[in-house]
Amino acid sequence: MEKIIRLKGISYSYYDQIPALSEINLDVVDGDNLAVIGANGSGKSTLLQIMGGLRYPSKGRFLFREADVSEKFLRDKGSVKFFRKSVGYVFQDSDVQLFCPTVLDELLYGPLQLDIDEKEALDRAFEVMQMLEIEHLKERPSYMLSEGEKKKVAIGSALTMNPEVFLLDEPTNGLDPRTQVFLVELMFALNEAGKTIVLATHDLGLVAELGARVVVLSEDHRIVKIGSTDEILGDQDLLLRVNLIHEHAHLHGKTKHTHLHSHYLLHRHSS
Amino acid sequence: MANKIPSFLLDRSSYSPPKRGSGKVKVSFVEKGINHLAGVIKRGYIHWEVLSKKGFFQKIDPRIKILFLVFFIIIVSLKRDLLSEFYVSIFIFVLVLLSRLKVVTFYRRVLLFGFIFGFLIALPSALNLMTKGEIILPVATLSRPHDFWIYHVPATIGITAAGMLGVAMLTMRVINSLSLSFLVLYTTPFPEMVRALKILKVPDTFLIIISLCYKYIFIFSKTVEDMYLAKRARMLREENNKKAREWIVGRLALIFRKTQLRCEEVFRAMVGRGFSDTIKLYGFGKMRATDWASGAILFSMGLLFLLM
Repeated sequence: MEKIIRLKGISYSYYDQIPALSEINLDVVDGDNLAVIGANGSGKSTLLQIMGGLRYPSKGRFLFREADVSEKFLRDKGSVKFFRKSVGYVFQDSDVQLFCPTVLDELLYGPLQLDIDEKEALDRAFEVMQMLEIEHLKERPSYMLSEGEKKKVAIGSALTMNPEVFLLDEPTNGLDPRTQVFLVELMFALNEAGKTIVLATHDLGLVAELGARVVVLSEDHRIVKIGSTDEILGDQDLLLRVNLIHEHAHLHGKTKHTHLHSHYLLHRHSS
Repeated sequence: MANKIPSFLLDRSSYSPPKRGSGKVKVSFVEKGINHLAGVIKRGYIHWEVLSKKGFFQKIDPRIKILFLVFFIIIVSLKRDLLSEFYVSIFIFVLVLLSRLKVVTFYRRVLLFGFIFGFLIALPSALNLMTKGEIILPVATLSRPHDFWIYHVPATIGITAAGMLGVAMLTMRVINSLSLSFLVLYTTPFPEMVRALKILKVPDTFLIIISLCYKYIFIFSKTVEDMYLAKRARMLREENNKKAREWIVGRLALIFRKTQLRCEEVFRAMVGRGFSDTIKLYGFGKMRATDWASGAILFSMGLLFLLM
């Protein structure tokens, strides 16, 4: 498999003051299904934003299909077009992502930027709306949508550009169970269709459902382990160390019971 | 779901390597503005970092610092000779050093503002048109003097010694006042400084409004930065100014709406925690002996400058 994204010794700090990533080395292969997990503030979103060419590392190199993605690279008209149409980004807060007057305009924005003719752009928008079950919302402004609908539109706005790589930041955060399931199925389907999926999350349930390759970030902003879902979720010591599970006590009948708790997979009771 | 995937999403033929050399994307005024905004947030963080240093002024009770600021600004305004202003400058410089502030950064800012708001603004008053006296630097010579209404324009226009002294005096006052303000600002956490204004009998309601404004400027600056990143993620070419302005207007509307919603939420949260119609802020505890001692030293120095 071809390495589509390569991160070599990436470090990043916000405002030159607050460290967010430290010495990150990571390869993402074409068609990968990758989940970056870590506690709050471990640097997951920053890592995704660097892969999305939205922030530039303080140290290290980011290569996309062997092209060195830097501020200079993305100042070049040809390069920026190549990169933006290849990498789609879905933000955690859909409100910051949606800026067009209506849902249909949101979906058309990307294709029109790509100079795709209007008919094809409209076809793409309607096909995506159909797939995401949001056709009835096409004339609505984004502020009149529910959180789940906003998330679908945000994903749709990236889908109509037909990128190779999808970067999704906490895609299921704050969504109702039905929308969560819908998004998981969508990610599966996109990955099966050949798209590379990289998502940042601290939801171990989502990771387990996707069966993704997992990158674990520690609270000191380093990669501590890369492995399969089973390998990572089975390593309770590691998950405890990176603050993704914790020990908690509760009552079973009249008996106080203490066990490790992740709000999903590891929440199993032997009695 | 798999059968619903649109056919265009399965098309992988359109991927092509970058065609470089087709020109540079210009940095738009939006990006410049966003960078400036990031600078504002950065300065906020630097402020917090400086505060965490264990310097002389950082340890003093904010009430003492507020009184020191007011007292010394009065002294700076009352002094009538350059030498006294110079002594005050040296005293402030020593305080800056004792507080372990970055001297170059500190004075770069002070001198820039001092130059603009002190020197440049006052400079025209150094001309003999405004201040009579011996000309030390002629600027222009006319064929003859002119008189109209109450104004007299002499044949030789130039900078006078008395005028220059006035400009120097005003510049020194501005520089000293700015140094004092920045010294207090850079060594006092903003919430504490606002609370310390209680000592000047500023109403609590006003203080809490200032605190909330300061906090939400940071929160919404971050939101605006994220909005711009989200836009950049879908931008394939530079935008004309009209489009950029449209985007800004749309985002302003969203921020306004978010602000309104947040305002209502904050109000409900306040009501939920017992707010009726007045705000009572917790004051400060008793001052320590070291605060009294520091206050006494600063006050004594102030008296010394006054008597000078």
